[in-house]
Amino acid sequence: MNYEQLAKKIVQRAVKRGAKQAEAYLEVGRQSSVRVREGQIEDLTEATSKGVGVRVFVKDRLGFAYTSDFTPAGLERVVDLAVQLAEAAAPSKLNGLPSAKDLGKRGDTGLLFDPKVANLPGDWKINAALEAERAGRAEDARVATFDSVSAGDFVSEVYLASSEGATGGYSGTYVYLVAVPVAAQDGQLQTGFWLDYKRFFDDLESPESIGRQAAKRAVRMLGAKSVKTCQVPVVFDPLVAANFVQNIAQAADGNAVYQRSSVLAAHVGKKLAGNHITLVDDGLLPRGLATAPFDGEGVPTRRTPILDKGVLSGFLYDAFTARKAKARTTGNASRGYSALPGIGTTNLYLEPGAQSPEDIVRQVPRGLYVTALLGHGADPVSGDMSCGANGLWIENGELTHPVQEVTVAGNLLQMLKDVDAVGSDLQFRGGSAGAPTVRFRQLTVSGA
Amino acid sequence: MPAAAPASPRRARPAQLAPLAARQALPSPLLPPGLLERLLAEAMGRGADFAEVYVERTSTTAVVLEESRIKSAQVGLVQGVGVRVITGAKVGYAYSDDWDEPALFRAARTAAMISQGGGAERAFPIKRVAVPSHYRVAQALEDVAVARKTALLTRADKAARAFDSRIQQVNASYVDQTRHIAVANTTGRYSVDTQDQSRMSVHVVALGKGGERRTGMYGSGGRVSFSYWDGVTPESVAEEAARQAIATLGAVDCVAGPQTVVLAPGWSGILLHEAVGHGLEADFIRKGTSLFAGKLGEKVASDLVTVIDDGTVSNARGSINIDDEGNPGERKVLIENGVLKGYLFDQLNAKLMNQRTTGSGRRDSFKSLPLPRMTNTFLAPGDHAPEDILKEVKRGLYCATFGGGQVDISNGNFVFEVSEAYQIEDGKLGRPVKNAILIGVGPEALKNISRVGSDPMPDPGMGICVKDGQMLPVGVGLPTVRIDNVTVGGTKVG
Repeated sequence: MNYEQLAKKIVQRAVKRGAKQAEAYLEVGRQSSVRVREGQIEDLTEATSKGVGVRVFVKDRLGFAYTSDFTPAGLERVVDLAVQLAEAAAPSKLNGLPSAKDLGKRGDTGLLFDPKVANLPGDWKINAALEAERAGRAEDARVATFDSVSAGDFVSEVYLASSEGATGGYSGTYVYLVAVPVAAQDGQLQTGFWLDYKRFFDDLESPESIGRQAAKRAVRMLGAKSVKTCQVPVVFDPLVAANFVQNIAQAADGNAVYQRSSVLAAHVGKKLAGNHITLVDDGLLPRGLATAPFDGEGVPTRRTPILDKGVLSGFLYDAFTARKAKARTTGNASRGYSALPGIGTTNLYLEPGAQSPEDIVRQVPRGLYVTALLGHGADPVSGDMSCGANGLWIENGELTHPVQEVTVAGNLLQMLKDVDAVGSDLQFRGGSAGAPTVRFRQLTVSGA
Repeated sequence: MPAAAPASPRRARPAQLAPLAARQALPSPLLPPGLLERLLAEAMGRGADFAEVYVERTSTTAVVLEESRIKSAQVGLVQGVGVRVITGAKVGYAYSDDWDEPALFRAARTAAMISQGGGAERAFPIKRVAVPSHYRVAQALEDVAVARKTALLTRADKAARAFDSRIQQVNASYVDQTRHIAVANTTGRYSVDTQDQSRMSVHVVALGKGGERRTGMYGSGGRVSFSYWDGVTPESVAEEAARQAIATLGAVDCVAGPQTVVLAPGWSGILLHEAVGHGLEADFIRKGTSLFAGKLGEKVASDLVTVIDDGTVSNARGSINIDDEGNPGERKVLIENGVLKGYLFDQLNAKLMNQRTTGSGRRDSFKSLPLPRMTNTFLAPGDHAPEDILKEVKRGLYCATFGGGQVDISNGNFVFEVSEAYQIEDGKLGRPVKNAILIGVGPEALKNISRVGSDPMPDPGMGICVKDGQMLPVGVGLPTVRIDNVTVGGTKVG
C-alpha cells in the first residue's frame, strides 16, 4: 500500500466532510526481539503494526480520532469521528495546523535507515544476547543470575499529509542490546544494567562489552550501605546526568512556561549557570535516535539551544503553543499516531566539557558518585528535586564503598548554578537524551 | 525497575444497572470461536506444550481542559490479536493488528517457530467458561455521549477556581476505556470479558507570596458506570486538588535524615505496592532476582502487617473478572501477621515452579506478553485509633498525600514521593513541608511498622503501575500507619 497516498486521501475525505483543516499522521512498523536467560531463549517476539491519527479543525474547533483498523470502513469511521468530535471542543482562534510559513524548508538529517539493521538475521539477536550473558558471567563469579538479556530491532515508517500542504514520509531503523545481571554476596542482591540503543548497526557497542560492563556495575554495588546525612559534592554519571538534563528540558516546555507553571518561566534571557553549560535540543543531530526531517505536525526539525553558555535562551514549542505565546514553533511537536501532538524533545544533550570523568572524581575530597536514581526526578513547577540514589562513596578522590538507601535533594535553579564540572564523556545510552559526567558543588544527601 | 504513580495530568441522568445476562448475551465483537480454534491448531503446527490466542479491541475516549476551555476531545480504537506458543520454558510470540485471516495465520505460524518439531494435525476445541462479575456497568463507557464527559471538566475547572483566588492554572482531563478481550488456549479454556474504566484528574497550580508556586493533583475513577460521577462529583475532585495546592503554600524545607513517619490512609498504599508487591511477583521469584525469593514461611514484616492482593473488589480500578490469560481474578493473602504466605503467579511461572496460577497474568495490550502483576493491593486494618497514632508521636513527619514510587527489586530499595506533608510536633500537625521523599528497604520498613490504624481506605482510583514498560490500572489501600526510623529525603540538614 502507498501510505503517503493513503494519508492524502484521508485528508481529502476529512475536508469533504466539513473540516476546514485536516491532517493525517500514519505510522507503520515491524519489530523483533529476543530475550535469553541461562544460555537459553526465553522468548521471541515478532510483529507488525500500524495506525493513523486524524486531526481536524472545524470552525476553529479541534477534533481527533485514531485507529489501527485500516479496513475501508475503519478508515471512513475514523475520519467521521474526528469531524464529529470537533463539536465537543471549545472554539479557539489560536487553533489550527502549522501554516505554510511554519512548514518551511527541511534540514539535512543525514541517513536514518541502516539496511544492516533492517536485514538483521534472527540468529544475530539470539547470539548477541547469549554472548552478552556469557561475558557478564565470565566477568565475575559473583554474578548470580540475570534478570534478562535482550536484543531487538525495529523498522518504523512515518507518513504525514495535511490540507496546509505538509506532505512527506521517512523510515528509520533501531537496534538495541540490554543486559540486566544480578550479583549476590552474603545474602545481598544487587542489580546493574547496561545497554546500548542505536540507529546503525556499526554504532552499537559489542555484546561482550555490554555484558561485562553490566556485570561490573552490578558487582561493584555489593555490600552497599547507607551513609550519614550530609551536604557534599555530588557527581552524576552520564546515565544519571541525562535524567537531570531531561528535568530541565521538561521545565523548558513552551506551554508550561506560557502558563507560568515552570520554574524557568521568570528567567528568560538570564544567566542561570556557568559558561560551561550549553544544553541543546537538536532534531537534526547526525545518526541521532530522534533525528527526523519533520516533527509530529510536519514542521522541519532544527537545533534549539535551551541554555547557551549558561544563559536561558530558548523554550520548546509546537505550532499551537507557539501561537499562544507569540513565538515560532521550534519543531518540537512530539507524538505517536494515537496522540495529539504535544511538546517533546528530540535529541537532547548537554555539550561535553574538557575534563575526564576520572579527574572530576579525583578533585572531590569527600562526596557521592551517583550511578542510579529512583523516583520521578524534579517537579518542573517548583524545581524541587528529591530522588532515591545508588552509587559509590568518594573519599580523597577515590571511589570507595557502594552506597544505597540514600536520597539526593536540591532545586533545579540552584543545581544549575552549582554545576562546577562537566565531563568530556558525552554519551547517548538507552535513549535520545544524552549527557556527560556532571558534578554539583553541593547537594543534600539524606541517609541513616 | 517497576514504578507506580497516580495518573498524572485530566449532568447526567443516573443510569440503571443492566442485568448481567443481558450484557453477556451481546454478540461478541471479537473473533468467532471457530477461527480461534483454527488459529490454535496452526500455532501448535510444529508441536508445542501450549498455545493461546489473545484478542483485544479497546476504544478510548479522552478529553482535555486547559485554560478553562475544552482543548480537545478524542476517540481512538486499537485492536489486535496476539498468539503465544510455549515449549518448555521457551515462548514464541507474534501479534498482528490486521484482522484479515491470512495475517492472523501468519502470526500463528511465526509464534510456532519457537518449536522445532513437526506437529501432527490435531484439533483444539474450546469451550466458553462462565466469568464472575466484579464490575458490571449499565452502559459501556464507549457508548456514553462525549458531551457528558466534557461537561465534567468544565464543572471541575469552575470549582477549582472558585475554591481560592490563588489558584492560577487548572488542567483537567477525563479518560475512559472500554476494553473487550477474549482468550482461548489449548487446554480448551475460552473466556471473554469487557473491562471498562473511567478516570478524571485535576491538576492545579497555586501562586503564593514572592512567586512561590505549588501544585495539587487529585483524581478518581474505577471500573464504574458513568453514573459514578453523580456521586464522586467533579467539584469534589477539583476542590481536593485545589486544597492540596493551597495547603502547601509556605511549606518549609524538609529535614533530611531518619524520622518517625505517620502515613495518612488511602494513597499511601503505594508503600506496599513498592516495598513488597513487586518483590512477590513470580517472575522475579523464579529467577531469584527478588530479595523475597525463598522466604516463604519466614517473618518479613511486623506482626501488625497483613498484605492482600485482591482482584475481586467491586468496581475497583485494579479488579479483573479474568486476567489476560483467561483465569479468574482472585483474593490472595501475601503476608499474614508478618509471615510471607504467597507469591503472585501467572500461568507460565506457576507451571515452571510447580504452582497454581493466582490469576495474576496481566498485560497492557495484545502487543505484550503477560507478566505476573498486582491488582488491588492493601494492608488489612489494625486496632489503633488513627487519632491516637498521631497523638503518640513527639516529633516526626505526617505524610498526607502521595506522588509516585519506584522499587529496585533485587536490593529492595524503594522510594515514594510525598506531595503533601506536615511536621508533627507533640502529637499535632505543624507547618507544611516541601520536597519530601521516603526511602527504605522493603522488609526493614515493614518490620518498622509499629501502629496500624482501624481505618482502612482504598485510594481514590487512578493508579498506574509500570513494569517492563507495560502500564496497567491498579488499586492500593492502607489504613493510617506509623513507621519508625524511616529515611526522609530533604534539603535541610539537622
